[in-house]
Amino acid sequence: MIRRLGISGWSLIRLYTILVYIFMFAPIAVVVILSFNPQQFGSFPLSGFSLRWYAKLAQNQTIVLAFKNSLLLGSLTALISTTVGILAALAFVRYDFPGKNTLNTLLLAPIMIPEVILGVALLLFIRWLQQPKSFIMLLIGHVVITLPYVLLVVQARLVGIQRVYEEAALSLGANALQTFREVTLPLLAPAIMAGVLFSFTISFDDVTATLFWATAQSQTVPVKILGMLRNSISPEINALGTVMIILTLTTPLLAGYLSRRFARGG
Amino acid sequence: MQRNGWQPWILLSPALSVVFLWLVVPVCFVVVYSFWLRAASGADIPAFQLGNYAKFFVDFFYPSILIRTIRIALETVILCVVLGYIPAYFFYQTRTRHRPLLLLLIMLPFWISYIIRTLSWINILGDSGLINHILVASGLLNESLGMLYNEGSVLMGLIQYMLPFMILNIYVSLEGIDKSLLEAARSLGCTEWQAFREVTLPLSLPGVSAGCLLVFVLSSGTYITPMILGGPGNDMIANLIFKRVIGTLDWPFGSALSVILLALLVAIVYTYNRYLGVSQIFKSFR
Amino acid sequence: MSVDWIKRVEELRQRRSNGDLGRRDFLRLLGLAGAAAGLVGGPFGRVSRVWAAGKSIRFDGWGGTVSEAFHKYAFEPFTKATGVKVVEGEFGNMDTYLTRVKASFPPGGEFNLAHLSGVFDYARYVNLGYQVVLDESKIPNLKNVMPALMAPYRAITDGTLSAAPYDYGQTGLAYNTKHVPKDKADKLGAGLLFDKDLSGKLGSFDDWRTNIWYAALHTGQNPNEIKDLEAVWAALREQRKLMKKYWGSGAELMSLLANEEIYATTAWSGRVAALQAQGHPIAFLSPNNCYSWQECIFVMKGSDLEVAGQLLNFMLTKECSIAVAEAQKYPPCLDPTKVELTETIKKLPAFDPTGTLKGYLFAKPDYWNGHQVEWAEKWDRIKAGA
Repeated sequence: MIRRLGISGWSLIRLYTILVYIFMFAPIAVVVILSFNPQQFGSFPLSGFSLRWYAKLAQNQTIVLAFKNSLLLGSLTALISTTVGILAALAFVRYDFPGKNTLNTLLLAPIMIPEVILGVALLLFIRWLQQPKSFIMLLIGHVVITLPYVLLVVQARLVGIQRVYEEAALSLGANALQTFREVTLPLLAPAIMAGVLFSFTISFDDVTATLFWATAQSQTVPVKILGMLRNSISPEINALGTVMIILTLTTPLLAGYLSRRFARGG
Repeated sequence: MQRNGWQPWILLSPALSVVFLWLVVPVCFVVVYSFWLRAASGADIPAFQLGNYAKFFVDFFYPSILIRTIRIALETVILCVVLGYIPAYFFYQTRTRHRPLLLLLIMLPFWISYIIRTLSWINILGDSGLINHILVASGLLNESLGMLYNEGSVLMGLIQYMLPFMILNIYVSLEGIDKSLLEAARSLGCTEWQAFREVTLPLSLPGVSAGCLLVFVLSSGTYITPMILGGPGNDMIANLIFKRVIGTLDWPFGSALSVILLALLVAIVYTYNRYLGVSQIFKSFR
Repeated sequence: MSVDWIKRVEELRQRRSNGDLGRRDFLRLLGLAGAAAGLVGGPFGRVSRVWAAGKSIRFDGWGGTVSEAFHKYAFEPFTKATGVKVVEGEFGNMDTYLTRVKASFPPGGEFNLAHLSGVFDYARYVNLGYQVVLDESKIPNLKNVMPALMAPYRAITDGTLSAAPYDYGQTGLAYNTKHVPKDKADKLGAGLLFDKDLSGKLGSFDDWRTNIWYAALHTGQNPNEIKDLEAVWAALREQRKLMKKYWGSGAELMSLLANEEIYATTAWSGRVAALQAQGHPIAFLSPNNCYSWQECIFVMKGSDLEVAGQLLNFMLTKECSIAVAEAQKYPPCLDPTKVELTETIKKLPAFDPTGTLKGYLFAKPDYWNGHQVEWAEKWDRIKAGA
């Protein structure tokens, strides 16, 4: 009886998850499907199948450059942000010191400030510094924006990791660094992965802040899309979206495939 | 909990210095600007006057927009928890090899640019969009349903954006639960449901509350979703800030609006940290 | 003589990049070449022009097909001729761009040229003090521009120019001819946007200027001199109840009309032309005192005026102007009585074959800029339902 309930309970859970997935992916599917619509406008039903928007896209050099910029910026942001975030999370969860709550709130602050304001605020700051905009500044800005996400995720996970494991390692003679590397880090791994993913995607998708801080050479994809909206039409933008989907799908798949091959190869 | 004097500060220093320089100082600029005046030309006049704040409270208009924003943010949070917990649990319990792939798929929408995804909702909910097309073509309806450009479509757009945050936060927290606790509960005679209710659910709360905080704060500050998917009456506070700062070049008033929003959110987050914060939940383990 | 000199510089650069020359030799030769050019008085008479090999100037404009046209017909030839690189930036929204510009002053110099929209924007930049005085003798192609377009700018900057007009257009009404008969549209004019029969199928640009302008027309007033503001607000409140969506970009406008989400809306003439070119049944109505505007290439304080002038001249050539006009579907600033324009351009909505722009009503910059803070806020309130 319990088993049967258990199975049907699990099926319900699976169904629920599938429905949520459909909800998440419906717009994506629409973007892909409509990118093949030969008509410039118009929605469903499709009036045919055409690759003309992809052809148009292929001729656009600046988008490729923007894509490279976005990738570079996102990866660097993820790297720095996750590292800094892990260190900070460790401090908050494992130690007690005055002003902890306030500082914790402070480090979560970037997401509380509407991006528009953060964008303009930083602009005012840079102007006061009399420094021209540069890639480094854009990068630091992105790190600041993505840090709270990493903090939240890593903290929530770190809280659940019992000190027992770490204390055991310490009592066996490991020093703090070794304990961290051999015990805490592996247990933290899912949170770290999540942190990396979060910070990369936030950085990749960021519009407003990048809009204000980017130099002419460091245009990112979302900023380009914003610029396209005035005169361009949906299928061209949809084609760009589809290309991004294909790229982002194949990259981890490829990485996974390659890593499996190398693992097997020994 | 160690009480080492300097250790935590060393760990914190990169985060603190970056945030201080790139956030605290710029925000101080915003606070200072909120007291300034706007010249007719759009330039800023240094001053110290509370006129901008007075303007916020002069009638019910701005506070009502703020309240509406908080309400929509709360609705988004609740819906995200309801929609997101089960998929997170599914990922946690599933035995399939493809779990990493499924998780990656949840994050995939993010890499396609928020603007494109939001615009594409128009093709689903619009009068000649997918849903109406199916309903009308199959004869179920004579006329299209007006599903777009109202608060519902804004919520849909927001949830779609926020759900991965919630799911991932809950998942990471679930994943950290010591399985031996669950086994202990089962061996003591609990059903699956009871084990879930007594062990898994409470231990996943840090993740849930982290997710809630994140979603709430993000939803309060959004402006692109209401701009693209909203109707005339759906502007949220960030839309107004955008219009004042960028549209009218009224940096002083826009700054005042931001300071008010910021103060509200800081209060909420601070309360969260005090009562529901991770440190509090950590204490419940010891 | 000038062509020889350019070739010489090019040769030197080639040799340099091929590693044939050491740096000091290169600089010396370049200096000599420059001095020679200076002595002989080429088009780049002064020695300082030689150092243009490392210089750049920045241009910011709308993205997509417009930037492609500029790149192909103006920037590439310009760089080839002068060696000055054009750094291209994009913006999606005039206000966001102005915010960035405002934040770059002091010290200025980050932004040089920009494709601004509307005379009121020219006025905004001048009021903030970002203007320059262009040496029109260095921009001979200005002769081909319609004087009617330059007049409003001269009025703001005391007879001088800080920008070159570039194209013009109208924000008129667009309507779906399948659902709205032509005679009805012609009869109602601006009133089409306030027609209760179209309730729930109306749209408009989410911009206080556009909507107040048309409410003024609807209440029988001159938009540049509104006497009865209350009537305007009342009309806007009524209209709001009929509105489905206030759109914010060209892509949204075209999508809404093409998908028949809305049957009538205020619309930019260029976007309507794009829809018509695709065969959609959308007509463009230019009512009496239609909201007309023009775009210009503005030169900002802190820019190298000599280089800016040269670049402007390249952008004003017939080939470039026509290419950009066809790309964004707004007629170019060139005087049709002086320059031969293509058939495509002659068929564009808002095109004026006489070159005098009589009957086009432009917004008075001082009037509209002066009311900006008050009216923009009022518009937000009405939009929210107040």
